[in-house]
Amino acid sequence: MDITLKNSSALLQAQRYWELIQVLVTRNLKVRYRGSFLGMYWSLLNPLVLTGLYAAIFGTAFSRYYNNSIPKYVLAVFTGLIILNFFSSSTMQALSSVVGNGALLNKIRIPISIFPVSMIAANIFQFISGALPLLAVVTLITSKNILNVLALPLPLLALVMFCMGVGFLVSALYVSFRDLPYFYELIIFVLSIGTPIFYPPDILPAKVKPFLLLNPLLPVIESIRQIALSGNSPDFYLIGNACIGGIVMLLIGLGFFRWRQAQLMDLL
Amino acid sequence: MTEAIQLNKVSLLRRTQEEFSYDLKKTILSFIEGKYKAPTKKLTLDQVDFTINVGEKVGIIGANGSGKSTLLKVISGILQPSSGQVKVRGKIAPLIELGAGFDPEISVRDNIIFYGVLLGFSRKEMKEKSHSILEFAELEDYTLTPVKALSSGMISRLGFAIATDVQPDILILDEVLSVGDESFKNKCKQRIEKFWDANATVLVVSHDLNFVKESCERGVWLDRGRVKFIGEASETVSNYLEGLKQNQYLSI
Repeated sequence: MDITLKNSSALLQAQRYWELIQVLVTRNLKVRYRGSFLGMYWSLLNPLVLTGLYAAIFGTAFSRYYNNSIPKYVLAVFTGLIILNFFSSSTMQALSSVVGNGALLNKIRIPISIFPVSMIAANIFQFISGALPLLAVVTLITSKNILNVLALPLPLLALVMFCMGVGFLVSALYVSFRDLPYFYELIIFVLSIGTPIFYPPDILPAKVKPFLLLNPLLPVIESIRQIALSGNSPDFYLIGNACIGGIVMLLIGLGFFRWRQAQLMDLL
Repeated sequence: MTEAIQLNKVSLLRRTQEEFSYDLKKTILSFIEGKYKAPTKKLTLDQVDFTINVGEKVGIIGANGSGKSTLLKVISGILQPSSGQVKVRGKIAPLIELGAGFDPEISVRDNIIFYGVLLGFSRKEMKEKSHSILEFAELEDYTLTPVKALSSGMISRLGFAIATDVQPDILILDEVLSVGDESFKNKCKQRIEKFWDANATVLVVSHDLNFVKESCERGVWLDRGRVKFIGEASETVSNYLEGLKQNQYLSI
């Protein structure tokens, strides 16, 4: 059952994995932004435009839930949108990554998991160069506390783990179920409306509200908003909540991926 | 003699093509209707058992669908055997369908690095090698051109140049290469001959029986996933031809 290679120490394999991620991420970003004028910053255009749109439409109506301040509403919408965007684009790209590289996997020995991981990694890179600096500045201005800026990566780490787990799950499922993107698009759409991004959670009727707890993205968004917008010092209970969700999803995704891994090659 | 490749009772079960459902809706419906069937599997390699020593040139022959390419995939580590053991010493370079790993959107130089890392080299090594690769492929003027702008001949030249520049311990050739124009073909031939003369282990899958007879030391005849004969190359080829004749007699 095992394939032994002369130099197959764990360290060498980790090194190869890292090299592969680097070239795959570079390729990914180069292909996406070749010859584009705004480059990386295109990824900010979508949340910025949507934030403007929501502010124009709902700003006045909802501002009373945000201390009668439209800027506060705008910031809440923006933080929610960048997180939702990160989730939907990274997992959507991860979904097709294994099937899209099926021809390659059939010719060269590469660890299959490298493809969803590199898709998430490319999105992390994009997030760090686009949305994160903006988020950090906002955090510094509202909280005037460097601790809040330093705590920002924690819920983001939870988000990354969560997306990685979902990425593993959907990329392995897509190999056997090629109609999955249609379902997944619907799931993303439900999630984007079902997450309190452009509306305050307080407007929900009491009967509907418990369903929000089922939303796996909510703890991350709550924690980020608490750190970046509330002005209080970081709430580690919220951070812990987000991290637990991330770790659970990562374990589920990883477990499923490993379980299916042996069968994947037959279907590519 | 040290062995480069050792196969110990290797068997491989694969799902057959017709069983692919690829459809979530259908699968869920068939579950609900209680008609769900677990996919059947076919034995594509059956107790394959042989050893190849370092420096040996081995040809694998057999009819279409006899499991030749599958066997190479198992040896390269692309497929994991369902049972049995595969032991490989040294670095393997697959030469299966040149240029399959290229990304058409990025430049020739980026593709050299990308492809090389996929083959198991570091980015640093590939940056150092990229000059000699471009030179061999005669593509120095196209360093920054995206690969989609190259002609198909140029792409296979590039693929060949990368895959053979890496000096593997074990070279795997699926079908004999025919790359580019006449002058480039000669260059390829020389390079392959250099591999032949050096102490590299070479595994060839080919339908060109004369090539196997002339260039290989040993031959393996695969028939429906089983090793039917293994021995000296010319003996294997004549046995294979004999077997084909008998089959024809039977069918007539």
